[in-house]
Formats: sequence, structure tokens, C-alpha cells
Amino acid sequence: MFPIRRASAALALGTSVLLLSGCFAASGTAEGGGDAGDRVSVAMLLPPRSGLSPFSDDAFKLSRWRTAETLVQLDAAGDAQPMLATGWSRVDPTTWRFELRDDVTFHDGTPLSAGQVADVLTRATRASPPPRILDGVELTATPDGEDAVLVSTAVADPLVPQRLSSPQLSVLAPDAYGPDGRVDPAGHGTGPFRLTDVQGTAGATLDRYDGYWGEPAGVAGIDVSFVPDGTARTAALRTGTADVVEAIPPGQAPLVDDELVHEVPMPRTNTLYLNTDRGPFADPAVRAAAREALDRAALVAGAYEGRADAAEGLLGPALPWAAGLRDDPAYTAALENRPEPAPVDGVPITLGTFTDRAELPEVAVLLEQQLEAAGFVVTQDVREYSAIEADALDGAFDAFILSRATVLDSGDPVAYLASDFGCAGGFNLSQFCDPGVQAALDEAAGLEAGPERRAATSRAEAAVLGADAAVPLLHERVIQGESARVDGVARDPRERDLITTGTGVGAP
Amino acid sequence: MTTGAGITALSRVVAGAGVVFVVGVLPWLSRRSPELAVLRARSAEQEATPAALASVRAELGFDDGPWAVFGRWLAGALTGDLGTSWVSGAPVLPAVLAGLGVSLTLMAFALAVAAGISALLVAPVLRRVLRGGGAGTTGGSGATAAALTALPEFLLAAFLLVIVAVWLGWAPPYGWAGPQHAVLPALALGVPAGGLVGRLLAESVAAAATEPWVGTWQTARLSRARTAAAVVRRALPGVLPQIGLVLVGLTGAAVAVEEVFAIPGLGRTTLGAASTLDLPLLQGGALALLAVAAVAGSCAAAARRLVLGAALRTGDVPVPSVQTSARRGRFVVPGTAGALLLAVVVAGLGRDPYTSAHPRLAPPSASLPLGSDAVGRDLLARVAHGALPTVGVALAVLAATLAVGVLLGLAPRVSTGLAEVANAAPPVLAGLVVAAVLGPSAGGAALGVALVGWAPFAAHTAALVSEIRAQPHVRLLPVLGVGPVRTLFRHVLPAAAGPLVRHAALRLPGTALALAALGFLGLGTQPPSPEWGRLLADGMPYVERAPWAVLAPAGMLVLIAVLAVSLAAATRARRPGSRPSCPDSGRKLAETAARTP
Repeated sequence: MFPIRRASAALALGTSVLLLSGCFAASGTAEGGGDAGDRVSVAMLLPPRSGLSPFSDDAFKLSRWRTAETLVQLDAAGDAQPMLATGWSRVDPTTWRFELRDDVTFHDGTPLSAGQVADVLTRATRASPPPRILDGVELTATPDGEDAVLVSTAVADPLVPQRLSSPQLSVLAPDAYGPDGRVDPAGHGTGPFRLTDVQGTAGATLDRYDGYWGEPAGVAGIDVSFVPDGTARTAALRTGTADVVEAIPPGQAPLVDDELVHEVPMPRTNTLYLNTDRGPFADPAVRAAAREALDRAALVAGAYEGRADAAEGLLGPALPWAAGLRDDPAYTAALENRPEPAPVDGVPITLGTFTDRAELPEVAVLLEQQLEAAGFVVTQDVREYSAIEADALDGAFDAFILSRATVLDSGDPVAYLASDFGCAGGFNLSQFCDPGVQAALDEAAGLEAGPERRAATSRAEAAVLGADAAVPLLHERVIQGESARVDGVARDPRERDLITTGTGVGAP
Repeated sequence: MTTGAGITALSRVVAGAGVVFVVGVLPWLSRRSPELAVLRARSAEQEATPAALASVRAELGFDDGPWAVFGRWLAGALTGDLGTSWVSGAPVLPAVLAGLGVSLTLMAFALAVAAGISALLVAPVLRRVLRGGGAGTTGGSGATAAALTALPEFLLAAFLLVIVAVWLGWAPPYGWAGPQHAVLPALALGVPAGGLVGRLLAESVAAAATEPWVGTWQTARLSRARTAAAVVRRALPGVLPQIGLVLVGLTGAAVAVEEVFAIPGLGRTTLGAASTLDLPLLQGGALALLAVAAVAGSCAAAARRLVLGAALRTGDVPVPSVQTSARRGRFVVPGTAGALLLAVVVAGLGRDPYTSAHPRLAPPSASLPLGSDAVGRDLLARVAHGALPTVGVALAVLAATLAVGVLLGLAPRVSTGLAEVANAAPPVLAGLVVAAVLGPSAGGAALGVALVGWAPFAAHTAALVSEIRAQPHVRLLPVLGVGPVRTLFRHVLPAAAGPLVRHAALRLPGTALALAALGFLGLGTQPPSPEWGRLLADGMPYVERAPWAVLAPAGMLVLIAVLAVSLAAATRARRPGSRPSCPDSGRKLAETAARTP
């Protein structure tokens, strides 16, 4: 009587059998990596974007899993320490010599060689885009015998060892680099964990590498899931689905046992960039009025529930030395000479920000009220970052709230200051160009890493703040979740380390 | 038939080619440079130096301009090679197929849920009409169905995640490793879809039950089960195209749910590709969605032909009889919903919706009847002030899409491809095109939603019109000298108007949410304006700590949906003569015959 119904029932049955058998992702747990009790499961924020190529941001994942390694690593203070290189020396002003560790093998069994290191560094310089750590640096690498590599730069560069610590300059085995330009890190790293399987944007599986040159890993493996939703990530910690959870949203943290959440100060500043070129904020006195209108404590308490630090300057507590240099008389003088605020009753301004960081729209709402209380008339424009960046860089907004990393891979903030406040800076949202600031930036960039460079960096910061080109709002903290059964998880402000050889799992 | 099939196929090819082409030139339409988008995708915080941009441009061959890029892609696509992703360099086809497999699996699970919900909604209507009571009305005001349809999928997903996965621990919170992972997302997707289908089917069942043959069967004492099956079968054809559209929607538009449960489906793949301007991947994803749409559309059409069968060809489709049964108390539900809405709006209009003067996330109390949101704003004031902009714009968009849908639905073969594209293409794609061409603007969201929102109405119109045209009295009209225009406006459209308007009422909350969902492209109103869609989005991160922050706007959406649907149902019952009826046509037929010499 119902041929259609019968046909559709058969079709539905056939389809569902087909679908059920084939279309779920492979399970995250690998066989042969010890029983699940020895493994640590991780819920990460962002899925890989570029197929885990080390020449992209995905490099930081390889580094957080300790599967790919670099020649140099940074310690907590930002100083260079040995990794795949055991030591280095400056041969001449533009050339550095790095001695390689001799007992290192890649996960596929091939030994680490000077030729391979030089080849990888050369490939990195030709990647598109080249790693950000090499912005403006012309770098060449050549093998020097079997156990050393010569790295030279076009102009003398005091930061070469720090630059080589960037995860984007990780060294993988020759087989990782395909003829089509793609790089496959699976089974090709040198770290204590071997990447065995990648399930697209769903997850990844790593097992302990027994041939590791250093102290062997404490856990049998890592099972990674990529969970973009903050509620789901928090649920992972609360239900025990994951042992380690990246980036718990501040709004979710109170739902979790206090013992399980750990705040790590980030080298990241939320800053209000004021358009110094066009509109009302071209007048320094109006900028001063905006600066005076702010109530940072209300922003920290409101949008971040206290899980952030009100900003004293552009550089936050993740760079502990910055605070000490702010008592310098020259620094305080630069700030005292700022113009008096102008009356701003009814001055219309546009305020832009983006939605990708969930707290920023809330910051914008609070900021609008604070600015309107001072007399400004605010119009917000909030979009996804990719839809607003071009307009922001063009100076389409009078004010823009940006969450900005202040130290990129080298651990040094001068590059950030130059790109945001230098005349030729590529991220100059304030459309700012001031000879005094530019001179201070140039001076800092030319100095060796050390106290003098820091002092010069601090003077540059004072010059920027003295001009009110930008008003730092607050410094973010990242909230990391760790279940009761794990220990020894790295809490790294630079987001390079997470699971290490010292990470262990025990009874819950 | 063959010509018709040919036109439909051609229409699909043209529409598909159009989408692929528009995607192909998207970056050049907008001011966004594809090299910057690719650079951002690979390295988010990198300074976009000219050297870095040049290296991306050189790698991907952008220097040759849009035509060369599109030509290269087309040449590959014609040989089955969809190219490689601009961001990852990985081949597009396997990525799209993997996503499609996951999405179809999820769709199958959601479909099971939707079928169950629909059955629950249709069963009481069926029982009532077979008992002979209230044939011609859906019995209820459709309030339950409307409420289910008004529940946003992302909100359901979040509640299910918190309650079922975290509190009860009955299901894993996220992942995609087995059927246990499909339960929660299938519920989140299937409940609103089931509400929509169930409501449309209940409506259709009620109409079918008024057809004369049902009475005959009952008089002949045919078993109730058999009559019920026949009524459902009679009711299905008008709804089948809608079911096809819902299937496609469950496949491509599940992004929000995929995001919450970390499911690697096609919706996420396509959305990611859209936001990074990864055109090859976006084109591949769009093509896959269109293929699903074409298959679902063809299946629905074939099933419809099978069910209606000979009646459609011979013009023997039965006609519902006059509906005289005006239910008493039919204004109780719309009256209650309307009064509640009015009370909230009146109470809130005098309060300030912008100040953060209150404690944040304060629970409902005497001074803050609906509580406060995450920045300490009065939610009562915000939902009240948001009512007019939310509902007003949504109604305007619905009216426009209904008009366009009816117009295009009258030429179903020509518009099939276009309708499938409009239905399958993620709304975000329409938003991207609007944002690219016109730039961010307040009206952009309405335009973007209108661009794709007409498809369900076109499909519904086409189904209704073909049935009405196959009814005996309409078939006779040309013989009686009634011209095609008069036939359309006096007989066909009036008969289709009721179901279409009620259908539009059902889509009111969805339209309001779709408008707000394009905000991330800078389309629509900007914060802090209190549209309900924005209130929902603002409250989502606090769904567990402050459920009132989402329940206030969600409750308003449910109320407005209940009001719209029950009001549409009630007014139908009041004007029974609005539908052309057999006796009426018969009378005309007799008059005409008498005048004929």
C-alpha cells in the first residue's frame, strides 16, 4: 500500500548503516601507547589551521605537545638556553655559530645533522609568509662541519639566539618536507612525544618517544581534542573528559573548583588606540580627556571578573622588569608633561573592536559608558576580527580596542612597539608618527639584550604614553584548567609549553 | 515532463555555477585582500609587511587577477580536481568529503529526532479529526509547535551540554567518536526542525481531513488506522518539499551546534573557509551543500509525484470542504501571549536599557524583574526596548521574502536551482556577499537574510499551487473562459494564502535570530542596541550561571512565535470563506453553463 514508505525505509536503513560504520572520527586513544591511565588528555582552544605546518601558528601546538623542538629555548626570564644546540658564540657581528647536540634522532630514526638544520632554517626564510620572528631579518644558514651551523644576518642582530627559539623554526626530519611545500610533522619531530595521528580539526594523538635525547616523558602519551566552545571546554574539566584544558573563559571559571584553575599572566595588553591623525583625537587635549575618562578597575571587575591586571603601562606583569623602570624620573616627567584634558561635551567618536575575544565586546560596552559619562557621544562598531582589521588599519575608527601580544617569539617587546607606534609600523592603528618616539624606538632596537635595551624600551614606552597615542587598559591572564590527577603541567605565559617531560598522572 | 526536468536541471546548473563564480570573485568584490586573509589564517599576530603579503601572493598566484585564479580553479574542477586549500595547502576534496560524511551522519540522527517530534505533534490532530471533531482546524493553536520552533539551536545545545553532559553525566560533552556523541547535537538540531515540520504537517493533515472522501471512508466504516494512514499520505505532498529543505538545513546550517560540540562537520569547514577567504575550500563546501540540496530536492519531488500519483496528472486532487467550525476560545492562546508580551514591553519601556548601574548577573528580583546581564544592564528594559526593532525588522524581512517566494514559486521549474542555492548556501555566505558589495551597514543584515530567506516560501508555494491547479474546479476554469491571470488571483493564490501566511508566522523567530547572526560581519545594528538576538548572544557565555540572561530574550521569542502562529490559526478559523470551495465553483459552473447557448 505504501511503496514509498517501504522504499524510503530501505533507503534510510541502508544510509544509516553506511553512516554509522564510517563517519565518526577515529577514537583519540592509540593502541600500544600504554593503558589510558598513563596518558594525559588535553582540550585545546583552536583547531589546526594549516595542517600543523611549523611555518604557521600551528607551530605553537607542536611545541606545547613537545613533539618538535628548536635549537634554543627561552627560560622564564626570556634568556636563551640550550635545546637542540648545546652552545653558541658570535663569530663576527653578523655571524653566529651554533653547536648541535650529537645524540639526537628524529622520530623516524634519522639522526639530526647540521645539513638538515641549515636546510630547515633556509626553508623557513622562504615560507609564505616567512615566520614572524624573521620579520625584517635577512637570515642565511650553512652547515659548519658535521656538528655546527653558521647563522648569519644581513645586518648585525643581537637577538639571533632568541629568534631561533621560535617554534616556527622547529627542526623536523627531511621526510617531513613534501615536494608540494606542505610539511607533515607526524613522526618527524625530535621531542619526547611522537605525533602518531592527526584527526583533522577534531584531535591528535601522541605517544612517548623512547629514543628521546633528554629525560624521557613521564606519561605514555597525549590525547588532544580541539574544542572551540568555552562552555564545552569547561565541561571537559568538570566531567573529567580532559585533564588539561586551555583558555577557560573568565565567565566560566567560577563554575570550576578553585583548585583546578590556574591563572597565568599573559604578555598581552588590551589597549585603546586613539586615532591621532583624523577626527577628534587628532587633538592631544581630547585624547587626554579620553585617558582621564577611563576607570580600569571597573573594566577588570566587570568584563574579567577580576581575572586581569589593570594596566600601568603598555608592558604588563608578564615582563616584570617593566614596572621597576616606571619610577625613573625621565619616565614620570614624560607623563607629567601631558596636556590637560579638553572639555568634550557632545564630541562624537566611533569605537571599534572585535568579537573573537569574547570579553572585548563587554569591554567596549563599559568603555562606551565611561566615555559618555565624560561627555563623548560614542558609536560602536563591533565585527569579527577578519572583517574589521582592514578598516582599523586604515584609521576608519576614532578609537579601537585591541588585545595585543607585547612580546612576540623573541621575548622582546621592541618589535611590538615599533610596529604599533613607529612611523613605518605595520600595525599602527593610532596612525601615529612622532620623531621623538621614533628616535627612542630606533635606539632600543639597536642595543644588545640586557639592562640598557630594557631602559631604552622603557623610555620608548614613556614617549608613546606621553603623547597619549594609546591608552593601555589591562593585561589579560589566561586561565588554564588542570584536573586533580595531573601534575607538572607547564603554565607558560608565552603559550609555548604545556605538556612536558615532567608532566605526570596519578590517582584522581 | 522531460522538458520540465531539463529546465530544472539547467536551473540547478546555472544557480550552482553562479554561486561558485560569486565565491570565486568574492575578495575582489570586497576590499578585503585574500593574501591578508591567508596570512592571518596562518599567522594571526604577524605584522602584514609588504614582503610577507607578496610571498603569499606569489605562492597562490594572485598577481594574475581574479579571472586567472577562477579560470585555473574551473579548469581543475571540470576534471574533478577541486584544488588545494589556500590556507593549509591540503587537497580540498578529501576535506569536504570528510566534513560531508560527518554532517550527513549528524543529519540522519537529527532527522530521527525531528520525525519523533513531528509525530508527537501530528498525532493529537489526527486523533481529533478522525473522531470527527473539529475537522479543518489543527485543533490547538499550534502553540507547542511554535514554541519548539522558536528555540534557537545554539541555546538548546548549550542547555543540553550543561544539563545532560555536566550535571547528569549521561553523555560526553563533546567529540565525534561514536553514536553516543551524536545524541545531544541531534536533539539540539532535531527539536526545532521537528517543531517546524510537525506544525506544517499538522496543518496539512487538518486540511486533508476535511476532504469529502474522508467522510465517505468513515461512513463506510473503514478502519480508523487505514483512514489515518490515508489522511497522512494525502497531507504529505504539500509538506515534502519543506522536509527536503529542512534536511538540507540540518546538513549545512548546523554550524552553531557543530561549534558547541566540536563536531568536524561541513558547516564548520565552510564557515572557517568563509572567514579566512579560503576560496577553494569555500567553493568545494558550497558545491557539496548544493549537491545535497539537489539530491534532497529531487527526492522530495519524486516522493511527491509518487504519493499524489495519477491524481496530479488527471486533475482529480480532492478539495477541502468549507470550514465552518470556528473554535470557541480560539483567542485564548494568542490573547495570553499578546498580553504577556505587552505587559513586558510596557513595564520595560520606561526603564533605561543602556546603563550598567546594576550588579552584574543579578538574579530576578523585585527591583530587577528579569535580572541583569553580564555588564549589569536591566534585562527587562533591554527586552522591552528590543521588541520593536527585533520584531519590526523581522516582519519586514518576512513580508519581502514571502512576496519574492510566492513570485518565484509560481515558476517552480525555473526557480528550482535558485531556491536550492538560497536554501543550501549558509546565510553567512549571503552576508559575506552583501558585506563585500555594500560594506558594513545597518540594512545589510536584512538584505542578507532576505537574499536566502525566500526559498522555503517558494518551495511551499510551488507545492500548494501545483496541487490547487490539479483540483477539478480549477482545471475547469479555462473551459469556462476564465483567463490565467484571473485564475491565479481569484482562485489559486487565495487558496494558497492561508497556509503561506501561517508558515511565515512560524519563521518569525528564526528570521529575527538570523538577522542578529550576521552582526559579526558588521551587518545590522551595532551594540549596545538591545535586539533580542544580541541579548541571546551576550548571555550565552553565562548560560549556566545566569540562565535568566538568555531565558528573557528566548522567552520573548517563544511568546512572539506563539502569538504569530496562534493568531494566524485563529483568524483562519474566523474567515472560513477565504478558501474557494467546491459548492462555490459548482455554482459558478452552473451559472456559466446556463449562460452558454
